[in-house]
Amino acid sequence: MSADSLRFFPPSSIRLPSSAAPKIKSSSGMAIDPSVRATETDLIRQAQQGSRTAFDALVRQYDQAVLRLALHLTGSEQDAEDIHQEAFLKAYRYLGNFRFECSFYTWIYRIVTNLCLDLLRRRKSRREDQAVTLDSSGEEIDLLTNVSDQRASANPDRELNRKFLGERIREALDKLTPRERMVFELKHYQGLKLRTIGEILNTTEETAKNTLFRATRKLRASLAELR
Amino acid sequence: MKCEAAQEIIALSVYGELPDDKAPQLEQHLAECEACRREVEAVQALAKAMSLHPVEEPSANLIARSRLRLEEAIDALPRGSWLLRGWQRFYQGAGRLRAAPVAVSAVLVTGLTVGGFSGYRAGEHAHTPAPLATVIAPASQQDDGSPVDIASVSSIVREPNTENVAVTYNRVQAETIHGSLDDPQIRQLLLIGAHNRINSGVRDSSLRLLADECHAGHQCDDGPIRNSLLVALRYDKSVAVRLKALEGLQPYVADDVRVRDAVLEALMKDPSPEVRTQAINVLEPVEADSSVREVLHTVAASDDSPEIRTVSRQVLDQLPQVQ
Repeated sequence: MSADSLRFFPPSSIRLPSSAAPKIKSSSGMAIDPSVRATETDLIRQAQQGSRTAFDALVRQYDQAVLRLALHLTGSEQDAEDIHQEAFLKAYRYLGNFRFECSFYTWIYRIVTNLCLDLLRRRKSRREDQAVTLDSSGEEIDLLTNVSDQRASANPDRELNRKFLGERIREALDKLTPRERMVFELKHYQGLKLRTIGEILNTTEETAKNTLFRATRKLRASLAELR
Repeated sequence: MKCEAAQEIIALSVYGELPDDKAPQLEQHLAECEACRREVEAVQALAKAMSLHPVEEPSANLIARSRLRLEEAIDALPRGSWLLRGWQRFYQGAGRLRAAPVAVSAVLVTGLTVGGFSGYRAGEHAHTPAPLATVIAPASQQDDGSPVDIASVSSIVREPNTENVAVTYNRVQAETIHGSLDDPQIRQLLLIGAHNRINSGVRDSSLRLLADECHAGHQCDDGPIRNSLLVALRYDKSVAVRLKALEGLQPYVADDVRVRDAVLEALMKDPSPEVRTQAINVLEPVEADSSVREVLHTVAASDDSPEIRTVSRQVLDQLPQVQ
């Protein structure tokens, strides 16, 4: 078996999402158009000097990517919207602190991933509390149970099966720690390099690798019964 | 490569993150190990399965809503934003602190230079009194011919690290001026003479002349001369001078309250009976004045000199109709 045959790119998901989405990416191997970067540097400097127009341009450059990530991680439009708002407000407040020591892409992703991690942690602790006290009264749990019941009783319609699998996958993802979830998200769904992920999460590439390995192990264990 | 190590990097290889140097080893291991080949398949299957939870593009609606909300939130900031910008400026400025040591050194050096120079100049001025220059200047002008009368040398200061010295000396040049007593310049000189503390003869003469002038009513309305007479009456040690001052003040006792008070004071306190007696005479035009009467009563009752007591009583007795 050749090494190339080992490389597997998940269909559609790993492809960098559309148009405005990061043509400008971190220094670690993302596509960088020098003219775009120069423009971006100018925009950042102008925004640092208080130009609202420049800041708006920066927002438009990144907000779709931010929403995409937040939406997929949280599974909720409302949460995604909140994270979008909070992230860019933070960026607006602290843009003066941005020193061009990393790419702006890494900087903004650092803000977003931190907000997402906070949200995942809050959710996880809430869910654990519920699991101890009440098993079937939580709305989310009810919904999942219903889907599962539907599937169990109805005939195995393909679409339904897909939906069911999707839910099971979400469940499996929810079982990961927020950090494992984040690394897996950034690697598998957002297609970032592990080195970039390390930069964003303020850790090393090696740690990101280990975290990814743990995440895949856990996911396989969670999804094993499906097979 | 062992299975354990292989399985750790299989996930990396599936995600295209396998380091180049590890690829041949993994390939070799997989060729030999059935279990690890299944592991590869399992991870690939997982990756495939995970795509059943696809990444969705945010809807145009969501994007628009989020942008609008953000804009509103930023618009709501402006009140604090100047503070924010101030802070950002400060923070940015703090970033430039790397250049600070140079700037600080420059400021320090400039400050020391300016401070040192002005200190030196100030010191120079302190050691070189301004009058000296004016004193020296005429001296050098007169060097060419007439000898300068030098009364005394009051100070000698050597300028540091130079051959130069600054010598302060006093010149005496006697001059005589002739003129009428009405001449303002003469009067000015008489006033100066009246304040001469060293030579009582000069003081005496000056005051006599001034008093005579006043007594004669020659342009004595101006303050300085009358003041000199008042001062002489109060404080001069010479009885003759005080008497002369009284005489000079006589014309003004009726109009000038200060003169009257000074004369009353003399009547009460002057150690010389002569002066006190003269004071009673001088007070004649204002005898009816209540303050004068009061003083006369006091003097009539308690003056050391029986003559003065008698005179006072007589003066008082001449004013029964007023009482």
